[in-house]
Amino acid sequence: MQSSLEAAVSALVHGPAVDARDADAFLARYDFSADDRAVLRADFERLLVYRGLVRGTLREAVALAIPRTLARLGSVFDEYFERFLAERGPRTHYLRDVTTELLDFCAPLWAEDARVPAWAHDLARHEALQIVVSSLREAVTARELGPLELERGLCFVEAARVARYAFAVHRLVSDETDRTPPERVPTALFVYRDPEHDVRYLELSPLAAALLERLLRGETLKASLLAACAETATDPTAALEGTARLLADLAARGALLGAAAGDGAAPPARGAIVDPDGAGPSARGLRGARETSTMRGSNKDPHERS
Amino acid sequence: MLTGARRALKSGVGLGLRWEFLEEVLEAPVLEDVAFFEVSPENYMRRGGYYPAALERIGRNYPLVTHGLTLSIGAASPPDREYIAELANEVARLDAPWHSDHLAFTSGSGRAFHELLPLKFAVDTAKRVAARLEELAETLARPVAIENVTYYAHLGKAELSEGDFLHTLFEHTRAGFLLDVNNVYVNAQNHGQDARRVLESFPLERAVELHVAGHTRTPSGLILDTHGAPVVPEVLELLAFTLERTGPLPVLLERDNHVPELAVLLGEVRALRAVCDRAAAAHRLRQEGRRAVVA
Repeated sequence: MQSSLEAAVSALVHGPAVDARDADAFLARYDFSADDRAVLRADFERLLVYRGLVRGTLREAVALAIPRTLARLGSVFDEYFERFLAERGPRTHYLRDVTTELLDFCAPLWAEDARVPAWAHDLARHEALQIVVSSLREAVTARELGPLELERGLCFVEAARVARYAFAVHRLVSDETDRTPPERVPTALFVYRDPEHDVRYLELSPLAAALLERLLRGETLKASLLAACAETATDPTAALEGTARLLADLAARGALLGAAAGDGAAPPARGAIVDPDGAGPSARGLRGARETSTMRGSNKDPHERS
Repeated sequence: MLTGARRALKSGVGLGLRWEFLEEVLEAPVLEDVAFFEVSPENYMRRGGYYPAALERIGRNYPLVTHGLTLSIGAASPPDREYIAELANEVARLDAPWHSDHLAFTSGSGRAFHELLPLKFAVDTAKRVAARLEELAETLARPVAIENVTYYAHLGKAELSEGDFLHTLFEHTRAGFLLDVNNVYVNAQNHGQDARRVLESFPLERAVELHVAGHTRTPSGLILDTHGAPVVPEVLELLAFTLERTGPLPVLLERDNHVPELAVLLGEVRALRAVCDRAAAAHRLRQEGRRAVVA
């Protein structure tokens, strides 16, 4: 009975709306005893209360995470929210992760839907990234660090990611009523949580982005620099000074902890974000990183469950 | 591992820790009115950053009790092992004297509902939950408790009354009973029952903690357990009625929506403590009366 009940509840709360007048037809789809079916039929209006509660909780969680995306997409977003619930549904124990599940579901669908602006997924991911980075776990064990050397990898704070977008969504104002479309420009951001737990965003040059992506994967400084220079058609000798400045800046910010001790590469930071549809190689030299915004005072995600 | 906070929790009024006033708690001198804080571990598990760090600081000054939301102990499938492993780490980190969750299912058919769905009051359900509680206590290496929930609908034909269901459950497990007094009141109102008679049918001797909260009445008359308003006088009376029978227990004030200023909540905590003190005196009188009758 419990399995049938769970299937029925799932359909009732996540699926298309069911009119109480159709309760018999709805319940007939599930394997209930006649007695159980009669009770569920009698209480069907009350059963629908759970639909409102479940959907209200999920919708609120998503609205807190990506408010500007919701406001801009309007009814189109509502349609995809319904599809997410009906076709996939949340799987996570953690309400703060529901938005990521939703966006993973939406990404391929939005790419095929002419009603969804090309920048929508970038904006949604950028909005969601604040909560993701604010809550990323630190390493359980302290890492042994050594001096910076070309043949070693580097250790960053665990809460650090390179995010790539096809649009400069990070430059949009926070006003939810604003409808200015973002500029289509390859964008790379270094997003990290500082020692005060604030999430900070640094705009990267193509070379800095390519370099940091590799370093976050655990490659050595030398290998990262050479590959990044090759990718961006940059002279490695000319990039050395800028690299030193960038790393010094990240160290001063508390994002770069030091070099990995021991031989060679560093253990990779978990899950560096690399968007293959984002920025391509660029001939621009390394200009380091420019801080575009911080989330001071809003370092806490709003997804507290109760 | 936190240090210094854990102490025997046998009575006193605690407060559900909400992020709305977390910084106030951090900055204030130790709040003598608050005997403990209760936290939902899902808000702190599998994450780093500000909140776990803040909670660790609060745990230096107050006992922390963990009260989970997504165990789904009554579901057809056993609880998620990965979740329980994470939970074990968290309750150990917080040095929680016990851990509790809800007599409900919160997932099914591979999906998470993020809502407490009630269980059918049946013998096999009670035994299934009891066995899982035993396993949970072993994994968490500490006592566990389970809370009665609100039910807006009966999810199947009840084989037992709620009281008999609870008695059957606790006959098969050593787990404690987290008795939510507001839930008793809400269910009684929604289903036309006498809340006191319902309470008297419960295994009160197994109660280890009590919860009280406010609720919301919808236009249809249905009461929703929203934790979004002050505790109503009827629930305070029911709390006293319960404590007169159980003797002193830790009591938690839950406020999860429309959370007021901390000072307002502390006022409610003090009012609850007064109710608890009066009930404790009444309990002593009942005990003395019983002894006198026996003598």
